[in-house]
Amino acid sequence: MKKTVKKEALIALIENLMKDHEVVSPVETAGKGVFYRKIDKAKDVYLGPAFAVEPVKKFFLHPSEWICGCNKEEGTASPCPVPADDKKRVIFGVRPCEARGLVLLDKIFAPDDPAGYQDTSYIDNRSRSVIVGLACSVPDRTCFCVSLDGSPVETRGMDAVLFDMGDNFIVEILTEKGKSILGSLPGTIDAGSEKALEAAKEKTKKLVVKTVKAPDSLDASFKSDYWKKVSLSCLSCGVCTYLCPTCHCFDLVEEERKKLRCYDGCAFPDFTLETSGENPRPTKKERYRQRVFHKFDYFKKNFGENLCVGCGRCIRFCPVKIDISEVAAGAPIK
Amino acid sequence: MTGQMNTSNSNIYLPRETEITAIRQETSDIKTFVLKFKDAAYGDAFTYRPGQFVEFSVFGEGEATFCISNSPTRKTIECSAKKMGMVTQAMHELNVGDTVGLRGPYGNGFPVEDLKGKHLLFVSGGIGLAPLRSLINYCLDNRDDYLDITIVNGARTSKDLVYRDEYKVWEKAPGTKVHLTVDCREEDWVCMVGVVPKALEEIKPTCNGSVAIVCGPPIMIRFTIPVLEKMGFCPESIITTLEMKMKCGLGKCGRCNIGNHYICKDGPVFNYAKLKELHYEL
Repeated sequence: MKKTVKKEALIALIENLMKDHEVVSPVETAGKGVFYRKIDKAKDVYLGPAFAVEPVKKFFLHPSEWICGCNKEEGTASPCPVPADDKKRVIFGVRPCEARGLVLLDKIFAPDDPAGYQDTSYIDNRSRSVIVGLACSVPDRTCFCVSLDGSPVETRGMDAVLFDMGDNFIVEILTEKGKSILGSLPGTIDAGSEKALEAAKEKTKKLVVKTVKAPDSLDASFKSDYWKKVSLSCLSCGVCTYLCPTCHCFDLVEEERKKLRCYDGCAFPDFTLETSGENPRPTKKERYRQRVFHKFDYFKKNFGENLCVGCGRCIRFCPVKIDISEVAAGAPIK
Repeated sequence: MTGQMNTSNSNIYLPRETEITAIRQETSDIKTFVLKFKDAAYGDAFTYRPGQFVEFSVFGEGEATFCISNSPTRKTIECSAKKMGMVTQAMHELNVGDTVGLRGPYGNGFPVEDLKGKHLLFVSGGIGLAPLRSLINYCLDNRDDYLDITIVNGARTSKDLVYRDEYKVWEKAPGTKVHLTVDCREEDWVCMVGVVPKALEEIKPTCNGSVAIVCGPPIMIRFTIPVLEKMGFCPESIITTLEMKMKCGLGKCGRCNIGNHYICKDGPVFNYAKLKELHYEL
């Protein structure tokens, strides 16, 4: 169901939503760029073309969150679950690549296989959230979603989506959850706007110029010195993993009998360092190769898809300008 | 999955409170902890396969990964820990009666069904005997299902041998041989001298209808597998249980993979043919 909605009407709806929902949206911060924030003023909502620095992932897997608590009653301090935050949440402005990242994370943290381990914290965060996406209109030069079976105007993982048509948004409601939030917006769509929307979508897709032809399997390149060459300049800073919408590796840390889950990443030397001093991934070659293989080989073997949505963050923010799309495409597989 | 006790609505990272009912000093730096779940009903329902492992919490210090070194056919859950890092040092300070956390069991465990009707060659070094002990005792408790059992166990010195009380019991079991070896000659030592691969070459175990189950420090595995292959063991008949740094035990935290397989979820038990396929470097 689509309708044309005035931008002011959407802001008024958000103002109203905040009464009984947590509302999250991209927000412009002075000099630092755009970040997702929990907002308390609807006018702070930023639905412009600039991308958020951090992906929406952090509202489902927080950089550092209590995953187990500790029951201090009776002095026993026994471990206990952390009470789930069940406040309904609406997240606006989620880009197609990030929403698709959530669909991929679901495979790890909310597996379809009933025998798989279900991560209740992640699942609670997913089920209390309504994702209102924002289709891209001005892709970045580092974006490469189209060549990874994605699109800047796709809707996988969204409950509703907004298309910026200048003075208005075209709102498309995709799920019951989306309807519960945006169903009350007044408006219809006329044939002219439908046509304009389709034309705009096609135009945007063509603006994604970067392509990555990742091979079906990187297997044959595993032992190649290529991985040493491409990782030489890596600083092991880990920004690529923190800002990736699909990277999900974590550490569990015990503090005061409670358990903290924190982001961790394959870029760090101590990620796999064992107490004995053995490290199965001792150099940047093995560590960077792990990242590329996880994205373009291992995950594909396990789930049939790449663990990369082509958002371009790891390219934009890499301090030494390593480009994963070029690295994957250039792997010597013959 | 056998022994998986997590229901869909429970927190998979939450340890269960467990009491230490006994502690055995195995060597100067290895202790075995005998454990009992505080929730008796949970403890009664807790099942596992030899070779599966648990995440052991010392509250306030952290978690570490240990195989269950006892057989599921025996009554108690046991974990053996060498004093090495933050958690194991804290473990060595614990006393009988203290409460710790346990979650699991995780991993695939040994293929006890596939091993039926085979001769079994156990090859272990140091604390590597821990997961094999679980399987050895399991096989001895189901003795008719398995053919000859040969155990080759080594340690740096005789003082570093673990589970010493059990060697005599194993020797007395029908169709079971135990070979002990230490790296260097010692006074009063009457068993073999030399590292495990060298001892294997002397013992010359049969490879026909045999499966070798190997666990020990990486360097021991590295030198043992070629010896086994030379003796005629095919890669499919060499089984090992791997160790890597683990945090979640659930195939989510991302650090213990070899290729597209997670040691915690798809392992820790692999045969050598599979490891070769996964580019595992010994």
